[in-house]
Amino acid sequence: MKDPYEILGVARTASAADIQKAYRKLAKKLHPDLNPGNAEAEEKFKEIAGAYGLVGDAEKRKRFDSGEIDAAGAERPRQNYYRDYASSEQDHPYTDNSGFADFMDSEDAFAELLRRSAQAQANRRGHDLAYRLPIEFIESIAGANKRLTLPDGGTLDVAIPPGITEGQVLRLRGKGAPGSGKGGFGDALIEVEIKPDRSFTRQGDDIYLELPITLTEAVLGARIKVPTPTGAVTMAVPKGSNTGTTLRLRGKGAPKHAGGYGDQLVKLKVVLPKEPDPELEAFVSNWQGGKTYNPREEVTP
Amino acid sequence: MKISKEEFLSLSGIGHEMLNAWIEEEWLIPSGSSPELSFSEIDIARARLIRDLQVDFGVNDEGVGVILNLVDQLYGMRRTLMELRHAARTKSEQG
Repeated sequence: MKDPYEILGVARTASAADIQKAYRKLAKKLHPDLNPGNAEAEEKFKEIAGAYGLVGDAEKRKRFDSGEIDAAGAERPRQNYYRDYASSEQDHPYTDNSGFADFMDSEDAFAELLRRSAQAQANRRGHDLAYRLPIEFIESIAGANKRLTLPDGGTLDVAIPPGITEGQVLRLRGKGAPGSGKGGFGDALIEVEIKPDRSFTRQGDDIYLELPITLTEAVLGARIKVPTPTGAVTMAVPKGSNTGTTLRLRGKGAPKHAGGYGDQLVKLKVVLPKEPDPELEAFVSNWQGGKTYNPREEVTP
Repeated sequence: MKISKEEFLSLSGIGHEMLNAWIEEEWLIPSGSSPELSFSEIDIARARLIRDLQVDFGVNDEGVGVILNLVDQLYGMRRTLMELRHAARTKSEQG
């Protein structure tokens, strides 16, 4: 970077008031927002802002003059200027077309073009508005009708289709911000967030559930009730089931994209009674099979 | 992106009273109605411009009003010019 005094066009001995005056004179001319079409102005403005940041501050000027700091790195990081937004396609309330309204009144081809352009601006479609909607796991599988309360106090009814996945975005046509003129409303974009469930998890189209069963059910087999996101069903636990045995309930998973359903996989977990049971203890202490079978055979010590 | 009043004050670096005065003058036009005002990024950039004008350049209130009026007209024209350019391009591509 060049010498800050040189950039501002002042002597090294200039007073603080003179430096401010010089800066203001240049900045007024070069402010990027007042020079929207001039890329050079922005570069120069950054330069003078950097220079003023250095020698416009009494403390920093002292350190610069004594050689303690140099001009490097004095440039301000680039901020977003107003001009970056004001000329963009996005609608904003500050547009003013009165500066050339008279041009539109005449009958030539140019006036026609201007009128059409103003019309297009006047009839711009509204913005899309984005929302997040947390739903329960069961709702994500079975589908649900939810009501979203909007920041402005309004509500939006959202039909959650069955089988929706985390992060999926639902588009509600015409439920976004109002447009201008005949532009119509934008859309509401609703991103679905699925709350984790205590029992169910999902992998692809299949649903996983860990289900506790009693020792009696495991040893003798049983018909037991199993919850699924769409309601309980009866399932046969085969005789001799074990912890880790996984049973498949066909078609009880999430709806598939191409039609049909995934499965629910039920992983059994044998659970002993919470309280010690004397009868069970008596049986097990006399049970020979329990002493000869070693389930840890394949586990290396 | 929607920005609340508190976020806006910290992002733009202006004070409460100043903000109210600027809204009163219609230098800033947030959406929503008081006290639930909501701002967007263009409002922040515009507030920085106004602050530059007032604090750095020493423009007084009357001056700021005049400048903003002209700035809005300038950007209105630039937008229309850009749309005309777009229309002209589309037309030449078609024909």
